[in-house]
Amino acid sequence: MDTGNHHLQSVREHMAAPKPDSLKLIKDLQRPVIQFSVARIPDSDAIYLGCSDFKVYSANLGATKFEPRELYEHESYVTGVTLAGLNLVSGSYDGKLKWCAIETGQVIRTVDAHAKWIRDVLASPDGKLVASVADDMVCRVWNAITGELVHELRGHKETTPHNFTSMLYALTFSPDGKLLATGDKVGHVVVWDVQSGKQLGAVEAPVMYTWDKVQRLHSIGGVRSVAFSPDSKSLAVGGMGKVGNIDHLEGKARVEVYDWQSGNRIAEFPGDKFAGLVNRLAWAPDGSWLVGAGGAGEGFLLFFDVANKKTLRQEKLPMHVHDFEISDDAREILCAGHNRITIHRLS
Amino acid sequence: MPRISFCGSADHAVNRRAFLGSAAAGGVSLAADMTAINALAAPAVNGALKNNQKRVILLWLAGGASQLETWDPKPGASTGGPFRAIPTDVPGLHISELMPKMASRMKTTCVIRGLNTKNGDHGSGAQLMMRGRRDEAGLKYPDMGAVIAREMGLLESKVPDYVAFYTQTEGRGFAPGDSGFLGARYAPMELTTNNVPEFVRKLDGISELDHEERAGLRTLLSKEFARGRSSETLSSQNEAYQRVRGIMASEKLFDISQESQKVRDRYGPTQFAEQVLIARRLVEAGVPFVRVARAWWDSHGQNFETHQEMVPELDHIMATLLDDLAERGLADDVMVLTLAEFGRTPGINASLGRDHFASAWSMTISGCGIKGGSVYGKTDAKGNKVTHEEVDAGTLLATIYAALGINPHKNYYLGARPLPLVNPGIDAIQAVLK
Repeated sequence: MDTGNHHLQSVREHMAAPKPDSLKLIKDLQRPVIQFSVARIPDSDAIYLGCSDFKVYSANLGATKFEPRELYEHESYVTGVTLAGLNLVSGSYDGKLKWCAIETGQVIRTVDAHAKWIRDVLASPDGKLVASVADDMVCRVWNAITGELVHELRGHKETTPHNFTSMLYALTFSPDGKLLATGDKVGHVVVWDVQSGKQLGAVEAPVMYTWDKVQRLHSIGGVRSVAFSPDSKSLAVGGMGKVGNIDHLEGKARVEVYDWQSGNRIAEFPGDKFAGLVNRLAWAPDGSWLVGAGGAGEGFLLFFDVANKKTLRQEKLPMHVHDFEISDDAREILCAGHNRITIHRLS
Repeated sequence: MPRISFCGSADHAVNRRAFLGSAAAGGVSLAADMTAINALAAPAVNGALKNNQKRVILLWLAGGASQLETWDPKPGASTGGPFRAIPTDVPGLHISELMPKMASRMKTTCVIRGLNTKNGDHGSGAQLMMRGRRDEAGLKYPDMGAVIAREMGLLESKVPDYVAFYTQTEGRGFAPGDSGFLGARYAPMELTTNNVPEFVRKLDGISELDHEERAGLRTLLSKEFARGRSSETLSSQNEAYQRVRGIMASEKLFDISQESQKVRDRYGPTQFAEQVLIARRLVEAGVPFVRVARAWWDSHGQNFETHQEMVPELDHIMATLLDDLAERGLADDVMVLTLAEFGRTPGINASLGRDHFASAWSMTISGCGIKGGSVYGKTDAKGNKVTHEEVDAGTLLATIYAALGINPHKNYYLGARPLPLVNPGIDAIQAVLK
C-alpha cells in the first residue's frame, strides 16, 4: 500500500526499475479461501487479507508457518483492504467500511458507506483520504482520520444501455494524490480532481464490456483495474476483451493505455496468451513497464513496455489473482487470489 | 411426425403450407373462425375460466439458475457466496436478498428445495425436467406442456394450446417443446425470433373480404368434393383450415401494444418482461400452457455477477405477474412455475463461477392447487445434498398435474399399451397440495 509522500514519489520515479525477465516465484502459500484483497505494511512482512469467508486477517509472511490471524468480520465478501496512516480500512459487499487500528487490531469505526456492493477501497498516497467504489455507482471519498465523507463522485450510469444494473469496479489515485480514476462495467472511466471533486476527463474502453444479445442475453466484463503512470499523464485500464461464450471468463486478458486528458488511446495490449480479467495494474516507479494480474480458472502476471507497445513477459500463476501489492522499489509482487498467495521477486 | 412451428428461424422454419399439412396429418380436432379473442379477457370470462380450466405459465430459467442465489440461500457457509438471505412473509422462510419482491409474496408460492434429479447435462437434463422421465427406445414421451395442452385444451379452442418463447439461441435446441407420442396436435407454437408468430399474418395484399371469400370458395369446393364420400383425411383437412383461421385471429394476443402503457411499464422494458406479459394475455385468453424461456444462466464464470444482473429481473417480473394474475381474479387458476434443467454447484470455482449441479436444487410453484408458503425438501448446511424430502423429476410433474386437477396416474394409450402420465409408483407430493 502506497503511504509515501511527494518526495518519495520523486525518488521512486528516478529509481531504475528491475527487469521483468528476472521475475521469480519465491513463495506459494495455500489457503482454502478466496483472498480478494491484500495490503502490506511497506518494507515489512506484515500483511492484511480480505477474504471470501467475510473476514479480515493479519499475517506475517516471514513466519515459519503461515498462519493468518482473524481480526474481525464483515457480513459479506471483503473486497478491499488498504492502509491509511495508523489504520487499516476494509470494504465489503455488505456496503460497509470498517476502520481498524493497526496497533490494537480493534475495529474503531463502521460506516454504512454504500447501498450496494463495495468493489474496492484505496487510501490516497499520503494516507489522509480513503476512496471507495460500489455498485451504487458512486465513488465516495472519506477523511481517513475522522471517517467523514469528503466527496460523492457521481459520473457513472446506474444502468447499462440494456436496462440492467451496472457495476463500478475500479479506482486508483495518481501517485501525487491529486487525481482519482474510476472505471465501470460498460467501460466508462472517469478522472476526478481529488481536491474539488470535479470531473476532469473521461475515457471509454467499450471493448472491456461484452453484451450478448443473441445467445445469452446478459453481460460480462467491465473495467476491473486502473492505474496512473508515474507522471500521471497516462492511465492504464485493465479488463478482458470481447467474449464469445460469456458462460466463462474466456476473453483475452486486455490492457489499454490512454492519454486521459485527450481521451486518446496510446497503447493497446489485446492479449494473446491468457484468458481472464486483469484485476490489478501497477507501473514500475520509472514508468518503464506496466504490470497487470488477474485470471480465470488460472492466473497470470503480464508485463508491458507501454512506450514501445511491447509485451515483455507473460507469466502463468497457479491461481486467479484478485489483488496484488507491489513494493515501492518494484522488486517484490505479492499476489492474493483463489486459495493461494504468491510472492514473486524481480532482481 | 413433423413438429408444428411458426418461429421462422433457420433451424425451425416451417412454412404455412407445411404447418397445414402437419396439422392435418395430426388429426386436428378443433373448429371455428375466431375474431373475438379479446372478449375472453373480460371478467365474466375469467370467472368461467376459474370454474373450468387451469392454465400454466412456466418461467424456464434455461442454463440452470443457482438455487443458492434464489430459493435456497446458504449465507455464511463457505459455499454460500456473497449474498445475504432475507426473511419473507412466511415465518421462518428466507430467500436470497436478490429477490426482495418475491420475499413479500412467498405466501403465494411453494418452494421445492429437495430436487435431486441426477442429470447435470443441459440437453438430457432439460428433457428430463420437461417430461418427468427418460424416453424409451422407440417411445418419446410428451413434455408437460403437451400433456397440459391435451388435458386442458378446449375442443372449441380458438387459440393455440401450447406456446413456447425461446428467443436466445443458447440452449434452444437442447429441449424444444415436444409432444412425443401425442403427436403434432399438441406440439408447441414456438416463437424464437419475434414475440409475434410469423407466417400466420394475413398478407397485406389480401383484404379481409378476399380472405373470407377464398375460405368460402375452399369450403364450397370441399363440400362438392365430399359429397358422397367419407374421408377422415378430408375432414381433418377442413378442421385444420378452420383452426389456422382461429390462430390467425389470435395474433393480437401477442401484441403488447394492446395493453396500456401503465401495464407495460409495470412489467418492465426487457424482452423477458414483454414475453411474460404476452404469456399472461395468452393464458387469460385460454391458452393452457405457455413456456417463457429466459436464457442463459449457465454461470461457470462470474456466477454472482450473472445472478446480480439476472435475478432482480426475475424477481420483478415474477412478482409483477403474480400480482397481475391476482388482480384479474386468476391467482387460483393460473399456475406459475420457475424451473430449469438443473441448479448450480455449491462449490465456487476459480472464475467465481458455479457449475452444473442436479443433486440438490430448487424450483417454485405458485397458484392453482398448491399450498402457498409451503417449503418441501431440505438441503444440508452447505447445499451439497438433500437431507429431507427428496424429489425427482417424475414426482415433480405428478405434483404439478395433481395441483392442476389432472390425475397423474391417468393412462394414455399407444395402441393397446397403457401409458400413465408419470411412471408407475410415482405419486404427487401431498404435503404441498391444497
